[in-house]
Amino acid sequence: MKESLSRIIILTKRDFKEILRDPLSLIFTIGMPLLLEILFYFIFHGLTSQFEMRYLAPGIVVFAQSFISLFVGLLIAIDRSASFLTRLYVSKARSYEFIFSYALSMIPIIFVQSLLFFLAGGLIDPSIFSINMVFAMLISLVTSLLFIALGILLGSLCNEKAIGGISSIVIAGQSVLSGMWFPTEGLNEGMITFMNVLPFRNATQLVQNTMNGINDVYKDLLIPLSIVLAYAIASFVLAIVAFKRKMKSN
Amino acid sequence: MTTAIKIEGLTKRYKDVTAVEGLNLEISEGELFSLLGVNGAGKTTTIKMLSTLVKPTSGDATIFGYSVLRDEEKIKEIIDISMQETAIARKLTVEENIEFYGRLSGQDKAELNEVKKVIYEAFGFEKIAKKQASKLSGGWQRKLSIALALISKPKILFLDEPTLGLDVIARRELWKTINELKGKMTIILTTHYMEEAEALADRIGIMKDGRLLFVGTKEELFGKTGKTNVEDSFIEIVSGGESL
Repeated sequence: MKESLSRIIILTKRDFKEILRDPLSLIFTIGMPLLLEILFYFIFHGLTSQFEMRYLAPGIVVFAQSFISLFVGLLIAIDRSASFLTRLYVSKARSYEFIFSYALSMIPIIFVQSLLFFLAGGLIDPSIFSINMVFAMLISLVTSLLFIALGILLGSLCNEKAIGGISSIVIAGQSVLSGMWFPTEGLNEGMITFMNVLPFRNATQLVQNTMNGINDVYKDLLIPLSIVLAYAIASFVLAIVAFKRKMKSN
Repeated sequence: MTTAIKIEGLTKRYKDVTAVEGLNLEISEGELFSLLGVNGAGKTTTIKMLSTLVKPTSGDATIFGYSVLRDEEKIKEIIDISMQETAIARKLTVEENIEFYGRLSGQDKAELNEVKKVIYEAFGFEKIAKKQASKLSGGWQRKLSIALALISKPKILFLDEPTLGLDVIARRELWKTINELKGKMTIILTTHYMEEAEALADRIGIMKDGRLLFVGTKEELFGKTGKTNVEDSFIEIVSGGESL
């Protein structure tokens, strides 16, 4: 147990350094979403309610998390294609240790994303500063599990060349199906139902609802939380199975 | 001489493809044994079975008495592997790669410092220690990849196509390094560069379509085929005597 924990820490440090030293990962997970937050607020905030900072900041936090799927997936796909994981597998490290390390290495980035986008939002519109912002930051750590799990799953299944295209489905899904960039009132019921059974809109609404105060615990918190967690757990289980299979077949 | 590896009827089948069939072989401690074969001959699958990465379909192999079927953990403690791909952490420096792998192998700071010193000296890493691995030339990256396999001080080292894709200078430098390792550990080296086997190996095994067609020293190979170099002898053996 102690040895296993020690290996997880060693692997996590290495994964974190690999991500941190890739300038593209910092641009896409932090720089670009921050720019979008500022631009979209100043261009659109008077037009529709979703660009008010109390909705935009939590929306951007979850949107930025979708890029985590791409970068964790890319790291795993590169490690696999270069036989780096195979080498480590011979060194007694276990599949679950790798998966834990990939997930844990993303937590500091997710924390920085959340802190930065809420703080930037608060500096632009100080009315959003409240205790709810802290709760929203905490709940965003839960939504991040979904994107980490999807990234590990995709990284286990796809090779280095395919991962960029496949991960963009997650990013596009989060953009289009979260409803954060356009008003959903005009959409037909079928589309709304489709968005509601997928995790993307639920993840965004979970953080937005927490930020703006929970009125109906069941509708505003428990339902979206259950859906996001169900997808996250299912993705983690599939990721572990896929990762183990790939490790043996590689 | 102590037997390091004993292979008995080792077979691997993937659906309708037989990658390795009925392999029988003994390798002594300290020997550098080279497995030769064209692509798809079964060399890498053999190495993967011996290093417990792939389960055999039938047969067994023991590494210093430990079975690849039953003693995976014990075997992992005494082996290491350098795959044909350059398996390094690309965004870490050379020093960080060595430290990372050493810590993962369970070494404490004192042990690690000692290993680092030996590795730096053997591979000439002193001047590039602080360089990021991705910024090194292909030859240096491959050297680092092989060096990482030595950090755990394995009793058996598997080198799968260690010089694949390297230029002639980098290849010769790597030969020199591998030659210096001879006798210090048992080395199983796969290659399809005939001159590599000729320069490095104590004994040679020739594989084709998953079967081991020949095992012996260079001299025994030349005696069997009537040729004077490994390449001609190899062609003679794999073509079944029909000259190409």
